[in-house]
Amino acid sequence: MMKVTVKLIGPFIYRAGFSEKEFNLPGRTTAADLLRLINVDMHRPKIMTRNGRAVAPAEMLADRDRIVVSPIYSGG
Amino acid sequence: MNGWMGKILRVNLNDQTWKEESFDEKFALKWVGGRGFAVKTLYEELKPGIDPLGPENKFIVALGPIAGIPAPNTGKAIVAGKSPMTGGYGDGNMGTRISDQLRKAGYDALIVEGRAAQPTMLYIEDGRVEFVPAGEVWGKGTYETNDWIYSKYGHGVGVLNIGQAGENLVRYAVVRSLEGRAGGRTGMGAVMGSKLLKAIVAKGTSPIPQADPETMKKTGLQDLREVRRIDKESGWSIQGTTGVLAWCNEMAALPVRNFRKTHHPDAWKVDGERLNNLRIATYGCPNCTMNCGIAIRDSHGRESELDYENIALLGPNLEIFDYPEVASLNYDCDDYGIDTMSAGGVLAFYADAIDHGVVEGDFKFGDPVKAETLLGEIAHRKGKIGQILAEGSLRAARRFGGGSEAYAMQVKGLEVAAYNCKFIPGMALAFGVSPIGAHHKESWIITFEINHTTRESYGPEKAQKVIELQRIRGGLFEYIVACRFPWVELGWDINNYTKYFKATTGLDWQLDDFWSVSDRIYSLIKLFWLREYPLTNRRDDYPPALWFDPANADTDGLIAGKVLEYEKYDDLLQHYYDIRGYDRRGIPTLATLARLGLQDEAKAAAEYGRLS
Repeated sequence: MMKVTVKLIGPFIYRAGFSEKEFNLPGRTTAADLLRLINVDMHRPKIMTRNGRAVAPAEMLADRDRIVVSPIYSGG
Repeated sequence: MNGWMGKILRVNLNDQTWKEESFDEKFALKWVGGRGFAVKTLYEELKPGIDPLGPENKFIVALGPIAGIPAPNTGKAIVAGKSPMTGGYGDGNMGTRISDQLRKAGYDALIVEGRAAQPTMLYIEDGRVEFVPAGEVWGKGTYETNDWIYSKYGHGVGVLNIGQAGENLVRYAVVRSLEGRAGGRTGMGAVMGSKLLKAIVAKGTSPIPQADPETMKKTGLQDLREVRRIDKESGWSIQGTTGVLAWCNEMAALPVRNFRKTHHPDAWKVDGERLNNLRIATYGCPNCTMNCGIAIRDSHGRESELDYENIALLGPNLEIFDYPEVASLNYDCDDYGIDTMSAGGVLAFYADAIDHGVVEGDFKFGDPVKAETLLGEIAHRKGKIGQILAEGSLRAARRFGGGSEAYAMQVKGLEVAAYNCKFIPGMALAFGVSPIGAHHKESWIITFEINHTTRESYGPEKAQKVIELQRIRGGLFEYIVACRFPWVELGWDINNYTKYFKATTGLDWQLDDFWSVSDRIYSLIKLFWLREYPLTNRRDDYPPALWFDPANADTDGLIAGKVLEYEKYDDLLQHYYDIRGYDRRGIPTLATLARLGLQDEAKAAAEYGRLS
């Protein structure tokens, strides 16, 4: 198992029901697996970062990762 | 000429006269409206070197062919003039009922010349102009002025007004409208104030000529409903623009302590989630589909309308993490008519300069009470510091000396918007090459940099993206005149705007046709700059020195130890120039100007500065 912290930004908070939460995940969890787990709107354009860098859906997560999922803001 | 009223109203405050001028289709097709009309007019009519705060400057309100027509977010107007902040071309895009009322009064643009003998308000109704004495509200804030105007004319009018900051020629005074709308952070409020022009009110009843009014009406109303639905479904306006604050904090892109830091553990206290929790009202512009003005009670119990830029620059940038206190500073800026962004930048610079011992003072980061006092001194140019800070951070830095220019966070004299680009090269470029000084409205590529490239890269794809966005954000939306938010925040297809343009004008333009106009406008703004600053060079397109200073690198977090690199930035800047067809100084070449149909404008520029 691994511990991963997920921070949600903006309107994603309301659907998922949290803004920041720590998850215990099985060892082989991908970024896409995590998105499905946290009930983020899959149809909404988003940017997902892992420790500050963009993460591909198939990328494996690791213990103590910090994942941030945000709508694509565009600078207002 | 469908889409345009075909007339410009020219008002002379010296002798209280006015006249209507027609423009032809050739002018309309070349410049379209809004920023295009404004920069062309100012370039033709202003002699280089005039004082932006003198009577020779002109204040322009310019609309575009879809302004005021019911369609998503068309309630916007451009205000423009020679900028007191930068000395170059300056403008602002603001939500206001002037967008439809001035058009219905018969005009696509208003040019105000000269200087009134006493404080004056212009009242424009259906082709008639009154010069109304405004002494009763001279010295009053924008809220009281607005109330006075509404008590005279009712709420069905379009209003632009200024507060004490504009009256006292604070260089970053804005023009205000509605509850919390403001625009022209390049000092357009001061341009009005220099003319003793307290307010402009417009009311009109003429229909706006459209090529296919039935289609426009059906499509416009349908699309208004659809964009509202998308907003509701996405939940964007729950936090509005402030949603990005938490993301910037995570990405080490938040302005904290005069941009010295990029994140803060208390940033959550002023994020979008907290803002929504405190919401008491929501405001937007005419025809808005996703109202972004979230109002909360400030520390004095007043209703203060906030968005991301105000919060970030009057909050974390001053190390203030209390929402009611931030809201108070914002309310004061709105009432005085001061740009909240430059106010945050100037105050942060002042605190930083005191910290570094280059000036004496008792203002510290994290002191909202003193910040509020200083805003009052700035608005009234009261005392030595009020006078100095009213000039903006660059001029203040030149007064203070001691190397403080390095941390006056500005480009071309205009304070940086709320994105800390200490290690975001592409966005630093966007600020550097913004034609009016550091403004994010021109281009914003942070998400692109992180999602599609790497933060570390300075590759040509970043320059290309900046230009691609400038053509839309600083081009299209600034001259058809509409708010970019449905497109930029909700993904509303950009081709919808070509659809509205066609329904109003009858012109079946492709996107490339719009980009040509955008490029033309950008090049003309550059020529305006060249005439004012014949010795301009590429250093004018650099972001603040602080972002290159290794001593200013974050000591912890995502970008610890990293800052911008001069040589790499210069290469990125050269990519931008190469794609744009500019020379090594950042000035359009003669070949570029010919391609854009600016041969005559080039001849005028060549009298003042070298073209290559």
